[in-house]
Amino acid sequence: MSPVSQTRSPLDWVKTAISRYWGVVGVLIAWQAWVTITGVNSIVIPHPINVVGDLVFNPGVYLANAGQTLFLAAAGLILGMALGTMVAIVAWSSRILSGILVPLGLIFSSVPVVALIPVLARLLGYDVKTVLGIVIIISFFPAFVFTAAGLKSLPPGSSDLFKVFGASRWTRFVHLVLPSAVPNWMIALRLSAPPAVLSAMLAEFLMGKSGLGFLFRQSATEFATERAFGTSVIATVISVLCFTSAVAAEKFINEKWK
Amino acid sequence: MNAPLSSAPATAPEAWAINVDHVGKTFTLDGGKELKAIDDVDIKIGQGEFVALLGPSGCGKSTILRLVAALEDVSTGRVTVEGSNPTALSRAHRLGVAFQDHALLPWLTIRDNIALPYKVAGRPVDDKRIAELLALVGLSGFEKARPRQLSGGMRQRVSIARALVLKPDVLLLDEPFGALDAVTRRHMNVELQRIWSEQRITTLLVTHSVEEALFLADRVIVMSGRPGRIIKEIQVPFARPRSPDVQRTMEFHHLADELTLALEPEGHH
Ligand SMILES: Nc1ncnc2c1ncn2[C@@H]1O[C@H](COP(=O)(O)OP(=O)(O)OP(=O)(O)O)[C@@H](O)[C@H]1O
Ligand SMILES: [Mg+2]
Repeated sequence: MSPVSQTRSPLDWVKTAISRYWGVVGVLIAWQAWVTITGVNSIVIPHPINVVGDLVFNPGVYLANAGQTLFLAAAGLILGMALGTMVAIVAWSSRILSGILVPLGLIFSSVPVVALIPVLARLLGYDVKTVLGIVIIISFFPAFVFTAAGLKSLPPGSSDLFKVFGASRWTRFVHLVLPSAVPNWMIALRLSAPPAVLSAMLAEFLMGKSGLGFLFRQSATEFATERAFGTSVIATVISVLCFTSAVAAEKFINEKWK
Repeated sequence: MNAPLSSAPATAPEAWAINVDHVGKTFTLDGGKELKAIDDVDIKIGQGEFVALLGPSGCGKSTILRLVAALEDVSTGRVTVEGSNPTALSRAHRLGVAFQDHALLPWLTIRDNIALPYKVAGRPVDDKRIAELLALVGLSGFEKARPRQLSGGMRQRVSIARALVLKPDVLLLDEPFGALDAVTRRHMNVELQRIWSEQRITTLLVTHSVEEALFLADRVIVMSGRPGRIIKEIQVPFARPRSPDVQRTMEFHHLADELTLALEPEGHH
């Protein structure tokens, strides 16, 4: 191996970019070609160039709404996971509570939360509170189920070790039980991050007055198809970014933890 | 040092550091079958004595160690450590144990793994002592490594350092050098002897190596398998401190032969 081949030239980057994302580029080209050739009305399908134009010339609209959706998704994710973790810890600390909470958690985690949006909107009002509430509920269950399991999956022999050291229940919890749950907690984060964004957008779409979901509904009803498609593009980018960063975070932690 | 609080104790205060008093242990397996792991095992270890336990695989050596560490309860007989229930010793953070499987915490660095007993005991971490012990087990420079980056033998050595870090009163070692090559093992034996001579910790060592037992211990106990029973006990005559040269004397070879013979299944019938 020559040292030259180890430093990557810009050409290499272009090559990797093409080899990874040729599919996206292909779809865009095929889309543009199809719309141009068949001459479909742009209310039905806009030209990709017009979508890009709307994204470039009206960044403020997209940024403000994407910022709100992202903020709600992140806040809901953090609150939901914190709540799920706390309930898992409560279940860990008492066998009786564990016997009630764990089966309940499993049952409720299989309820399609989307169906709860109208109910929750009645309770909390037709605004961001409901959006936040939905994201919290969505993020709660994975955190609860996975953390509860993680608090019980201790490294082999470690439980005996802490007994031999004469550890109190508290030191055992802080130095052994809680750290043991971290890999599982990261799984919950990876599983919850994309649905958090998705459910925030869905709730905004159904009953919101702002955010990406609302922007999509509004532009669709006003036949502003470029805007609607632009919103979809932004939503896709955000979802992909959330997922990949959650995967990267999980990998990073696992390298330290396992 | 611990005066009786109320009524006078039924027996005289025990002189033994560890007293395994005619102990039997029966495990109930899945399906209700009973397995008698050890039967009528009687081991008395004095203050500052080093005792080695030899025996075939599955004869109950680890079980005895777990009984002394209060990780199991006896089925028959009684175990006392320094005159009281074995749990008292671990509660006072005065017990050091290196298990057969090292049981290091994967998310802590080597240094933090060895510092763990301080944290658990609520004492300030003595970094000088940790550095000393790491040097002793030949792992200086690995402070920031994680357990998975170490070999099996290196992990075992970390767990020995961790067992010693609080200067325990009683040390239980379960095949601590099992994964080491012959040269490193001999080196570790010399080092262990050196620190043991400094502190004279009451030690119970489980090993499969006759030479290791003779080199380190004041007394060697041989067990037979299923159920585990004591079949032989010898006093090791070599004066301390022992140099590795002792292993080349005639007397050493004779004793080694005697123990090896006792370990063979036909040896005692
Ligand atoms: N928790 C347990 N439940 C059931 N049986 C057990 C348990 N622990 C040990 N045993 C049984 O007790 C016997 C003695 O086991 P022990 O681990 O003490 O052997 P050992 O002498 O340490 O063997 P080795 O040299 O292979 O480590 C074995 O037959 C084992 O199957
Ligand atoms: Mg064993």
